[in-house]
Amino acid sequence: MFRAILFTQWKWARLPLLLGVLAAFGLPLVVVQPLPALFAEDAGASLAIEFMGSFGPMFPLLATVLGLLLAVSAWAADHAGRHVYALSLPLPRWQLVLYRLGSGLTLLALPLLALWFGALLATSMVDLPEGIRAYPTLLGLRFALAALVAFALFFSISAGTARTAGVVLGTIAGLLLAQWVLALVDSDLNLLGTLVEVLFVWPGPLDIFSGRWMLIDV
Amino acid sequence: MSLAIETRELRYRAGKTFELRDLNLRVPQGAIYGYLGPNGSGKTTTIRLLLGLLRPLSGAITVLGQAIPREAPRALARTGYVPERPHLYPSLTVDESLRYHAAFYPDWDQRWADELVARFGLLRTLPLSRLSKGETGKLLLLQALAQTPELLVLDEPTDGLDPVVRREVLTALLDYVAQRDATVFISSHLVHELERICDWVGIMDRGRLVAEMPMQSFKNGIKRLRVRGAPALLGDTPFVVLARHYVEGQAETWIVRGWQAPMTQYFEGIGAGVQEVIDLDLEEGFVELLSTARTAPRGEG
Repeated sequence: MFRAILFTQWKWARLPLLLGVLAAFGLPLVVVQPLPALFAEDAGASLAIEFMGSFGPMFPLLATVLGLLLAVSAWAADHAGRHVYALSLPLPRWQLVLYRLGSGLTLLALPLLALWFGALLATSMVDLPEGIRAYPTLLGLRFALAALVAFALFFSISAGTARTAGVVLGTIAGLLLAQWVLALVDSDLNLLGTLVEVLFVWPGPLDIFSGRWMLIDV
Repeated sequence: MSLAIETRELRYRAGKTFELRDLNLRVPQGAIYGYLGPNGSGKTTTIRLLLGLLRPLSGAITVLGQAIPREAPRALARTGYVPERPHLYPSLTVDESLRYHAAFYPDWDQRWADELVARFGLLRTLPLSRLSKGETGKLLLLQALAQTPELLVLDEPTDGLDPVVRREVLTALLDYVAQRDATVFISSHLVHELERICDWVGIMDRGRLVAEMPMQSFKNGIKRLRVRGAPALLGDTPFVVLARHYVEGQAETWIVRGWQAPMTQYFEGIGAGVQEVIDLDLEEGFVELLSTARTAPRGEG
């Protein structure tokens, strides 16, 4: 059963997955391209670190996009058929969800490995000056964690009904509206800022996405 | 009588307008049970309840001895289901869809599936999104049959199919039933189609089961009578008067249920006479039954 479900999810997600693998493998290679030239200059190390920092947000962004695409593709066909086929199969609902989750995670492993290999290859191509270090495995692990969190989050929303998605979107829209109204009445209350802080600052569940994402750092 | 499907006092509500009330279905094992009713009468809702896709408000459902929805996976493993609207994954090819489906059914008969693919003329490499309506209907039935189920639940399986495909589908279904002695629960609003193949019939209207009986009793028991000289008020009758139409200067037309030939004596007893007894086909009987059920006060019918 797992193989059958894995096959369908592979079929539905293969194109974005292939693009994701290429992006994950290529991103570290692209990031390190200007480094040899930068290291050749005076104060090149600090310039290089600054350059790496400017590319940092690309990694959590890619992790989020991959998690989103794989999660949505896992359930899109069932949503289209109003879940009738999935629910008429002779297995408990929790088991189907578990198989879909497992299949999605299996597929997600491909871009995660691609990024790790890309990072290892990219850092092996650059001679680092003293005091500068490469973190390919740590970056790979952090990328994997971010992608897993994104996948889990979007998977849980996608697995629900359209009503669930509506509640989530409605809550976000309500917050935006409330913030707009607060701004109109010159209130100092920052709902969105507080929410971002609660979610993205430790021990917030999305803390993994924030902070510095550096392949090469001091 | 051992039952493949049984519901007791089943109740379900969808929104504010539709309600399934006090549904007591009894589908005998080995029967081909036709589930008739106009569009929106609750046929698909009943089927979804039987398969555990919906949860009832109250009442009990037993399918192949399993309590639904609690033991639905066990019952579903022995049940082939053809839904009203195609529900398969359109991006898969015919072959991929068959392999996917087979993975969930331990009794899947691959040889028979291959035979049916050839018999139905399905192209294995064609994506489901490119199948015609007839081909999709055949594939759905093929998948349900190759599971070798004890029970087939078919929701309007031939709706919208051309007569040639409809015949192919029904022939394959009857072949299967003949070989395996399976129970078939088939819903349709195509009354003539069910008349040919079913041995039991249940009639739904507006969320209520209006009648449930062997097809033979239904066909034989509903008659149109031409009656002369009957009084306006009737006492107890040995049959059920479904409708009574009077046209000035002509004999009255009665539609009755539970008719048997010796009952003509009843008319002699009330000073009336039966001029003619006309057999109704299933569709006419169905229409008369529904119109009576709709005019009867709640609780009757």
